[in-house]
Formats: sequence, C-alpha cells, structure tokens
Amino acid sequence: MKFRESLISAHHNYLIDRMLTPGFLLGKADAKDDFWLLADVLLPEERAPFLCGRFYDPEGRFLVHLRGDQWVENPGGCRLQGSGDGFQILYPSGEVLLAVRTEVFTNGYLTRIQGKLYDRSGLLRVEPSFDSARVLDEAWHPLASPVRASKNS
Amino acid sequence: MKKTQETERTQGIWIFGDYRNYFQNRVTLQLIAKGKELAGKLGTEVTVLVLGHQVHQFAMEYSAHGADVVMVVEHPALKTYQVETYTRVVAGLVEAWRPHIFLAGATAFGREFFPRLAKRLKTGLSADCVSLEVDPEHGWLIQTTPAFGGELLADVITPEHRPQMATVHPGMFKERIHDKTAVSRIVYPEVQVEADDRVQLVRSKPEQAQKGNLQDAPVVVAGGRGLGTKENFGMLFELAACLGGEVGATRPAVMAGWAEEDRLLGQTGKSVKPRLLITVGTSGAVQYTTGIQAAETIIAINRDPNAPIFKMADLGLVGEGRTILTLLLEKLRRRI
Repeated sequence: MKFRESLISAHHNYLIDRMLTPGFLLGKADAKDDFWLLADVLLPEERAPFLCGRFYDPEGRFLVHLRGDQWVENPGGCRLQGSGDGFQILYPSGEVLLAVRTEVFTNGYLTRIQGKLYDRSGLLRVEPSFDSARVLDEAWHPLASPVRASKNS
Repeated sequence: MKKTQETERTQGIWIFGDYRNYFQNRVTLQLIAKGKELAGKLGTEVTVLVLGHQVHQFAMEYSAHGADVVMVVEHPALKTYQVETYTRVVAGLVEAWRPHIFLAGATAFGREFFPRLAKRLKTGLSADCVSLEVDPEHGWLIQTTPAFGGELLADVITPEHRPQMATVHPGMFKERIHDKTAVSRIVYPEVQVEADDRVQLVRSKPEQAQKGNLQDAPVVVAGGRGLGTKENFGMLFELAACLGGEVGATRPAVMAGWAEEDRLLGQTGKSVKPRLLITVGTSGAVQYTTGIQAAETIIAINRDPNAPIFKMADLGLVGEGRTILTLLLEKLRRRI
C-alpha cells in the first residue's frame, strides 16, 4: 500500500501537502537569488509560527525577503497585516500573497499556510489546496529541530 | 507451539485511536502506555491508528502520550462513524501492514467495531480484558479476561492468527504524562474510502452529560442490591455530596431502577480510580470489582461478614447499610 510519511510534534505543526510536520524547508535556505521558504520548528515556549523566505511574483520579479515578522528586504512594497489568528503578506494592490493562520488546541497549535508562491523564473512553487497549501514538483524537507537554533550555535 | 509463517511476518503493536469525547475518554492514552511497555518486551513500536476528518489535534495528542507512529486516514467520509466503512478501511490497513497486536478500548464504539473487524480478519478477539502481558519467546499476547459469568479470570492467547486482538476496559492502565517535546513519525496511507451508502446519518444529538464526572471523582460512593430499597440507595447521594464525590452502582441496583446506567461500575460499566471508595451493600462479584479495584482506599459495608468484598477492602464494616449510613450522615451533617 502506498503511503506518505512525515514527522509530527506534540506542540506545534504546520499543515503542508495535507500532512503535518513540525517544520519544513522548501528550496535552499538563505539562497540569495531564488525562491525558498522555511517554516521553522517552534521551541516548547513559542506559540507563533516562524516563517522565513524569499518570494517572487508571477513574472519572476523579487518581491520580499521575510524573516519571522520582519522584512529583510521589501523591494516589492508588500505589506504585513496581522489578524486575530495569524498574519497576511499583501501585494501593494492588497491581493494576498501569503496567509498564515494558527489554530489553537487544548495542548498544541496547528499553522496553515495559504498562498501562491513563485520563483525567479515565474514558476508556481506553492499553491492553495483545501485549507492549506500544496507544493508543486518537488519534495519539501521535514524538520525535527529548529534551524534558527543550529545557526545560532 | 511453533510460530507459523503468518505469525513470523507480523510486527508492531497497533492501537485504535478512539478520540470521541476525548478529554473524558482516556482509554486510548492508557492503551498507548501499556502498548509501550509490551513493545519494549517485544522489541517493536506502538502505532496509533486515527480515522476521521480534521483529526490533527488527536494525532498530536497521541504523539504527546507516547505513540512511536501515528497513522492517519483523513477523509470527509470518515467524519461520521459508520461501522462498515471503518471496518473496510481498517481491515485493508491491517492486511497491508500486518501488525502483530491490535488493541482498542472496550467503549461502546470499540465493542461494536472491534468484533466486526476481527471477524473480517478471521482472527481472535478477547473482549473487556482487565490485563495484558506478552510472552516474548512465542510473541503471544496474554489476554486476561473474566470468564464463565465472571467466576474466573482466564488467560487467553491467539497462537496462530494475527493480529492478536483485544479490547480493554477503560481505567485498567495508567496513561503517560503529556510530553509537549515529543516528536513521532506520522504516516498517511493512500486508501480508497467509500462511505457505506446503505446507511445514512439523519441526525445526531449529544447524550445528556452527567452533572458530575464519575471517572474523575476523588471520592466514589457505590451501592448494590444489599441496600434493599431505592430510598436506602438514595442516601448515597447525600453521602457523596457531603464528601465531594459521585455515586456509582452495581448492575442489580441499576436494573432495579435505583440509579441510571451512567452510574454503572464494573465490567460492563465504568472503571474508577478515586482516592476513597465506599461500597455499600455490594457482595464483591468480579463483574463489579473490576470497576473499583484501582481505588486507593476501599471501605466496604455489608451485613454478611463472609461477603467477598471484604477481601479487597482496606476497612470493612459489618452491619446493615441503612443503619451505618444513617449514623455516618448524622456525623457529617454536624461537621459541615
């Protein structure tokens, strides 16, 4: 019987490709000239998702480099808008580039990410699917421990 | 008995994730803890199987409570339990993965679903077990279950068919503490799910909840046929109120209409683990005592000095239940 496999954390997971995972990496983290998306593993005391990435528009123009809740670069003039259960990254037009919502359970958290994300060639890499996101044409790498922690050590 | 080809090829301990009424219904967590103990002896892993729709929270809970693997089948057609659909899906998973042991709680759900599944898999099932052990040499699951109307406890094995299946009474094992740092593997089998179109859910409504939660009560006051009348049984409610506890009952007391079915303790009712249990007018039949044996302190009141209940009591009072309850309540009312 075919099956798909990931990891699951008792504390916090992201929902991607209809699978739970404590964290995932798409592309090459910190690549300076192409699309990547890191949804980092949360520490037990953390509740809000930690997302980093470099995003492009459908024409392959560089839009924004995000780290957590701050811009590293924002040549596309995008806006960060908070909501009750998460945040959105908006194009200057107001269209949603990326929506991040976190559901709170009695003993844990689940973050859903939705949006259309393109790379520098204008290829669609991530698209909305049901109540989360689907990754196109490549495998994402599940993470069991924070990438931030290993970079800081 | 020698191992057959069938028994040789199986591995892993599976537990069916019964997450309905989750925070009150802890039986799956209890089975995970026991499963981990057994898996340690067999050198294998514990997998919890979760069927449903939007069940992420429960998958995370099972990881937190010790599951090595959580196997999830997510589909809208599984949101509402239908026995044939669930049986078909789970039978397919068992045939593909071939677990060595498969356990479920002896809840209303488990008691309907697991026998049907065992029949489909052509394997044996021991119901309402009160204990589980393994024989690592042979790979047997030793399933201890009341037999012959509760007169005996029988150790049952399923030597040549797999998986070895059992349902276990809630409250028999102690769950592990929730560990928010836990990380487990999660597996998503690609399964065709088709709802059983012979049956259509028209409406559902939640059962009216009890005012108190018997299974979590620190004090339980329980009564049986020996109390004689409904009025005498009624004294237990005041005693429970004085002590901050809940009332339980034996099957004869429930059948006499003295207490609701929700208050039934024992093999076909609830199991309790209170700090103090006072049991009045109960003989000590094993069908009842399986539900109270985990109490920390047991006080038994019975007019028969030879009643079996006294063998498990920490303190025994021989006398008429009504008389002793009257004296006890008088003392307690003065103190409150």
